[in-house]
Amino acid sequence: MVPTSYYVLLSAILFTIGVLGVLLRRNAIVIFMAVELMLNAANLALVAFARERLGVEAQVIVFFVITVAAAEVAVGLALLVAIFRTKRTADVDEVSTLKG
Amino acid sequence: MELLIWLIPLLPFIGFLLNVFVIRRERTAGLVASGMVAAAFVVTLIAVGVLASMPPEERRIVSTAWEWINTGSFQVPFAIMFDPLTAVMALLITGVGALIHVYSIGYMHGDPRVVRYFAYLNLFVTMMLFLVMANNLLLLFLGWEGVGLCSFLLIGFWFERKTAGEAAVKAFVVNRIGDAAFILAMLAIFTYFGTLNFYSEGEGGALGFLERVGDIAGLRVGPNWQPIFVSTAISFLLLIGATGKSAQFPLFVWLPDAMAGPTPVSALIHAATMVTGGVYLMARTEPLFVASFTTQGWVTWIGALTALMAGTAAMAQWDIKRVLAYSTVSQLGFMVAACGMGAYVAAIFHLLTHGIFKALLFLAAGSVIHGTHDTQDMRRMGGLKDAMPITFRTYLIGALALAGIFPLAGFWSKDEILAHAVGHGHTPIFIILFITSLFTAFYMGRQVALIFFGTQRDPSYHPHESPQVMTVPLIVLAVGAIIGGAINLPVLHWLTNWLEPVLHEKAGAFNLWLALIATVGAVGMGYLGWWIYTTNAAKIKIGGKDPIYRYSGDIWEGMAEAWYLDRLYQRTVVAGFERLSDFLARVFDPQGVDGLVMGVGRFFGGLANSLRAVQTGYVRTYALVFTVGVLLVIGFMLWIAR
Amino acid sequence: MELILFLITALIAIAGAVAMLVSRNAVHSALFLLLNFAAIAVLFLLLQAPFLFTIQLTVYAGAIMVLFLFVVMLLGAEKVEDTPDRIAWQQPLALLLGLALLVVSVVVGLGGATNPPPESEALIQFSDPRTLGALLFTDYLLPFEVTGFILLIAVIGVVVLNQRGRKI
Repeated sequence: MVPTSYYVLLSAILFTIGVLGVLLRRNAIVIFMAVELMLNAANLALVAFARERLGVEAQVIVFFVITVAAAEVAVGLALLVAIFRTKRTADVDEVSTLKG
Repeated sequence: MELLIWLIPLLPFIGFLLNVFVIRRERTAGLVASGMVAAAFVVTLIAVGVLASMPPEERRIVSTAWEWINTGSFQVPFAIMFDPLTAVMALLITGVGALIHVYSIGYMHGDPRVVRYFAYLNLFVTMMLFLVMANNLLLLFLGWEGVGLCSFLLIGFWFERKTAGEAAVKAFVVNRIGDAAFILAMLAIFTYFGTLNFYSEGEGGALGFLERVGDIAGLRVGPNWQPIFVSTAISFLLLIGATGKSAQFPLFVWLPDAMAGPTPVSALIHAATMVTGGVYLMARTEPLFVASFTTQGWVTWIGALTALMAGTAAMAQWDIKRVLAYSTVSQLGFMVAACGMGAYVAAIFHLLTHGIFKALLFLAAGSVIHGTHDTQDMRRMGGLKDAMPITFRTYLIGALALAGIFPLAGFWSKDEILAHAVGHGHTPIFIILFITSLFTAFYMGRQVALIFFGTQRDPSYHPHESPQVMTVPLIVLAVGAIIGGAINLPVLHWLTNWLEPVLHEKAGAFNLWLALIATVGAVGMGYLGWWIYTTNAAKIKIGGKDPIYRYSGDIWEGMAEAWYLDRLYQRTVVAGFERLSDFLARVFDPQGVDGLVMGVGRFFGGLANSLRAVQTGYVRTYALVFTVGVLLVIGFMLWIAR
Repeated sequence: MELILFLITALIAIAGAVAMLVSRNAVHSALFLLLNFAAIAVLFLLLQAPFLFTIQLTVYAGAIMVLFLFVVMLLGAEKVEDTPDRIAWQQPLALLLGLALLVVSVVVGLGGATNPPPESEALIQFSDPRTLGALLFTDYLLPFEVTGFILLIAVIGVVVLNQRGRKI
């Protein structure tokens, strides 16, 4: 039997890697991918807790998270494509005209 | 009867309103204004008659029109009264006032703003009457301020001249110093007596404070190491108020400058009536002054010193009106000194006679100015007695009265003051006042010689006598100056008896030796003055120095400048204020106030500017800050919000 | 036995994530992420959630990552980050924060190591997709319908955002 806390630990590590991905990478698409990673980490933790408590509700939550993540990815990438059409670059640092 | 006494101040007030709102023509203005004041004089005579028909202890009529101020414990009715003291003051004000109004018709003829002039004069008479007829200190103060206002308006009547405007402001400001003390006195009186009323309004009414001065006997006020009696404090404050209004040392500097106004104004306001307001105040509040030995000493010495200072200054002036102005200050000093010595009747007596002959002198001076085409410097005059006979004779009578020559009015009143001084042991005061009377005779002789004798030194004008509308008042006043002494002759004591219910004085004995010495001295000094300036007439050059200057040197210069008091004020008070105003306007306002207000704005602008750097525009830095926030929240939830 | 499986899968997941983080080429990153998703799917299976394992593979690995790859290829945005970073202190600070976050979450996570329940009747029912389905169509029917709606909106949004010649 694997203790729940191991899963939570794994989830934490993956989440941190996702955060680092958002902060460190400049390619917009890769940033997006890191966000997906974070979502997955959260899903993992939820499922682990579901198993511990034998509560199916947590799995329902995960189901919804996955669905909404899919929708979000679609729209986000569409936005990115639209921006790319004007800017000709996917570098996130280039999109910085809204400054003080 | 009550309605009768209300008519006295109301008639001139109606004249004022008519002149302000209705009248447009010069002729109507003069007639209406003079008529109103003359009518007021007649009513006053009738009122005096009514008063005389009452038994002496009951001679006081009080009448309230409405409750002026009605707030809990502070009640002030709009109430006037008529008693013997008020009666004589009112007779002087309306009588001399009416004559001066008539005179003004001639003097101010052709002036573009003459209707306004008569309006101001009528308003002045109204206010002065309220001053002397008030039954409470606040209404008296209303009149006090009112005459101050009219004085300001009339001194600066010819406001196109810079000197007139400045003199008007100076008069008002110096007066204000006295007024501040007056207000403090009112506050003190209200605190200790609970009322500002002088006398009770009728049978069974609450007593006014003059009727219960005993209430504050023995009360002390002030710090523990130097308490003073309440009566001393209050009377001293009233003294300061009187000093401002009656031009005593050190607040007399405004009166000589006030000569910038029209001459009838000088006659009415600055000789006969307004300046006597201070003396009236002290006579009216006599119970308070009598209760304080300390203050009486101050009063006497201030009066005597003022008399001497101004008397010497008058000897060295070249301007015809300035001589008379300093003379007025000097004679007021006599009155004030008399009050201080407890000789209130003598003070009032001198007030009345002085009012008559000083007004006469001023009006005659005006006649001289008028007849010499606006010349005021006596060095330009000379030999006018043949060209202006009526003016000369009336001026001479006025001069003799002022000098105190028997049997004219001034002799009797001045002598009574000197006799009181000797009789009550005030020897140093007597000496000062006696010397001042000698000086008075001297400078009047000097003035008569300079103006009327010798030859005309300035050929640029052709002198002529003034019209009848101006000379008739002169003659009337001259008659008054001659017989005025009859008011209080030594044996008959009409005035003393008349004022006894108010001032509670008994008549003094007549000092024959003193009378003789005084008269001889006055005649001698008067003749000396006349003699010096007629024999040395050739040495008087236009714009040149006084012949005596050779022998006296700088003392004469000091006298001419009234002992440099004006210059002292200029260097200290005025200069200090100017520097303060300069600092406020040039430094404090732009740097301090503006700096503070603008500084707030600038501070926030600067703050916003530095905070702008946070908005880098880079999404990743925002994400960074985001992460920091997340960590903080987690930390908070874990370790603090247990 | 289960523990060993868990460790291997976990390591693969972490490796995939780190590789995604590190690689310069966007396509490589996407593929490594795909690996990570697959590992997570296996972990779901280990956690007695077969239905989610299927969903994860189908939606995430199958649809979302493919979409990512499409966009990368479409934009030609493989090698974007050849130029050095403009914000000087971004990297060190980010690493620091990441470390802090890791420490905090480890501290939290390891407090209370509990064992999951053993084999039982309830467990079998728990892992049955029918249980999940029943819940989805009864208690959570409204959220279920709403997610359908969200997907519809997403589709419309995508179409609108990418119309040529028309401003967004």
